[in-house]
Amino acid sequence: MDAIRIPPPAELDGLEDEHFRQVVRAFLHANYPEALRNPPKRLHWAENKAWYMTLAEKGWLCPGWPKEYGGLGLSPSKQIILTEEYERHGVARTNDHGIVMLGPLVIKYGTEAQKQRFLPKILTGEHIWCQGYSEPNAGSDLAALRTEAVLDGDHYVVNGQKIWTTLAMDANWIFLLVRTDKTAKKQEGISFLLVDMNTPGITVRPIINLEMHDEFCETFFDNVRVPKENLVGQLNKGWDMAKALLGFERIFLGSPRQSGYALSRLKILAERMGVWEEAGFQDQYARLRLEFEDLKALYGTFVDRLKRGQSLGPDVSMLKIIQTELFQKITDTMLEIAGENAGLLEPLDGNRDLNIGGLYIQARPATIYGGSNEIQRNILSKNVLELPG
Amino acid sequence: MSAAEADDRAESIRMIRDSAAAVVPPDGDLKRIRALRFQEPGFDPAMLRQMGEMGWIGLRVPEALGGAGLGLGEMCALAEELGRGLAPEPLIQAALSAQLLAAAGGKGALAKLLSGEALLLTAWQERADTLEAPGTPEATRLFLPMAGGATGFLLPARIGDRLALHEVPASAVRLETAPTQDGGFLGTITPPRDLGTPLATDIGPALTEALDEAALVTAAYLLGGMERAFAMTLDYLRTRQQFGRIIGTFQALQHRAADLKMQVALTRASIEAAAAALDAGVRGDARRAAVSRAKARAAEASLLVTRQSIQLHGGIGYTDDYDVGLFLRKAMVLANQFGSAALHRRRFMAVSPEVEA
Repeated sequence: MDAIRIPPPAELDGLEDEHFRQVVRAFLHANYPEALRNPPKRLHWAENKAWYMTLAEKGWLCPGWPKEYGGLGLSPSKQIILTEEYERHGVARTNDHGIVMLGPLVIKYGTEAQKQRFLPKILTGEHIWCQGYSEPNAGSDLAALRTEAVLDGDHYVVNGQKIWTTLAMDANWIFLLVRTDKTAKKQEGISFLLVDMNTPGITVRPIINLEMHDEFCETFFDNVRVPKENLVGQLNKGWDMAKALLGFERIFLGSPRQSGYALSRLKILAERMGVWEEAGFQDQYARLRLEFEDLKALYGTFVDRLKRGQSLGPDVSMLKIIQTELFQKITDTMLEIAGENAGLLEPLDGNRDLNIGGLYIQARPATIYGGSNEIQRNILSKNVLELPG
Repeated sequence: MSAAEADDRAESIRMIRDSAAAVVPPDGDLKRIRALRFQEPGFDPAMLRQMGEMGWIGLRVPEALGGAGLGLGEMCALAEELGRGLAPEPLIQAALSAQLLAAAGGKGALAKLLSGEALLLTAWQERADTLEAPGTPEATRLFLPMAGGATGFLLPARIGDRLALHEVPASAVRLETAPTQDGGFLGTITPPRDLGTPLATDIGPALTEALDEAALVTAAYLLGGMERAFAMTLDYLRTRQQFGRIIGTFQALQHRAADLKMQVALTRASIEAAAAALDAGVRGDARRAAVSRAKARAAEASLLVTRQSIQLHGGIGYTDDYDVGLFLRKAMVLANQFGSAALHRRRFMAVSPEVEA
């Protein structure tokens, strides 16, 4: 593995796919900190800063950005290979909202001045971004958001509250969807605003989730003054921009990896509990295993579409539903066979592979985030099956 | 496979679909199917001959032996179209016999079988829900679809530690048939003492492979049927009104439709992946695992989709006049042919490698 030469970043997009995969493996083998493989929880900036900086130094930080802005300029199919290898290696997510969300949006809709100002600072790790979309009364119905920005001279004055602002305590910038026209139809009065988290009037309060982790925050805005040049794109066009950004990355919500990981742990647990050989369990396991294999096949058909240069349709929602519900069914089964061990707060026998309750809890939000599975079914029935109303 | 090869392949599969649609219109009315129901032999021999002339019976038989030499991708596409039209002709069984005669070096009535003039059914099954052919010489052979229309039977017979293949004319066996839910028949035969004419001495490996292929192709037939039943159901949801609204606007029904769509998509992905794997030449356990995955999925999904189609139609779906019920009845007959979902799950667990994680 070490024999593989890792070419300079600018050459990566030109490699043949299988060669590229080997290069990614070699890169991770050489650079990824062993202690951070498969972390049980989302890491904070203090924990994953070193990895972020390694990626930054090597020029690997922004796989999807065009080369002219300091990215790797990888095609969707190469980005999928990269993600597959990161997942296989158990690479933790970084504080990646700037890389994945804000960067592509500024590249697509920002002014030249905004590009010059913000993109380089993502690449150096000076700006760590978080996302301010959801609100207490605007979750699945995001367009109902009410945090408002009112123009006052050269500034927008922002008032309101955002919620589920992932890792907001680690971020020094936030991108917001704000209401700029209360009279328009709800989707047509929303704008996209960039806010320095050090501006007076911003309060961040962590929310402890069921994993007992403070990954999410509430973020409050009390008369926060934001220079008007921080508006991205046209006024009142924020909704369309945010929607247009939902690109091929949606496929990753349906990546079978999470279920594959859980399935292999289910087997370890079944052996530990002495039920593996039981015919009843074997049939239960076979059902999950077959669902996993067929999900992989279906996922593969979507990857093939991307490889042929096609874009994804609304039917990609199927992957998200199948994957997340399978992940839950696997962890449900773990709980079912674990006896009293199901209730343990820590992994059984101190073995991270037997993190029964932890994995069960981790599987819960999967059907909620990224558009709840109920919303995904609405999308399927209206946009794929073309059912009315 | 290179991009050019993949394109050629897709084109070949598209051509098969088109020619199938010309013979069995995928959205055509089902009058022909209804007329053939519950009357011996349960299918139209003239249609079987036409299928022979189209080259379908020998689709998998090498060209040198008079077949078309095509792959499972093509065969599954064909079966899907036949399933969409509920064609009752025993094409899958005839194709299985053709493969055995081809493996035996083109002996026996292969040419007549390929042309559809003769119908030879392979009498391999000695008990319910199995893919094993023990070849017990004196055993009664079971579950022979449309056996009343057969001109003869192929008999696998264990001699020593090998499975020989014999051919007997229909006149030499005692045949009983029982009607099935879809309007067809399942036959039981008692072989004659002399087992007829020997054709080959070692057909075991070829039969094992052919049974796997038949299981996969049956899955594809089920896929075609469930897709059409689902399409009919969506049409109904888009037009039927109750409480002053089109019922397809009700979220409970929309979500159920979304769930069925996912089952159809998983079934298609599973079958196409299996056909591609077999065409790429995977052998042994990997081959059996791929087939079992596809058949287990198709068996369960086809029954789920067709029975939910009845439910979503309401009362009209429960009438024999309305076509959606025909698809449920077909799924009831085919779901367990060449192995039930439970059998295939057991087999998958027995042969599949560990999950890669």
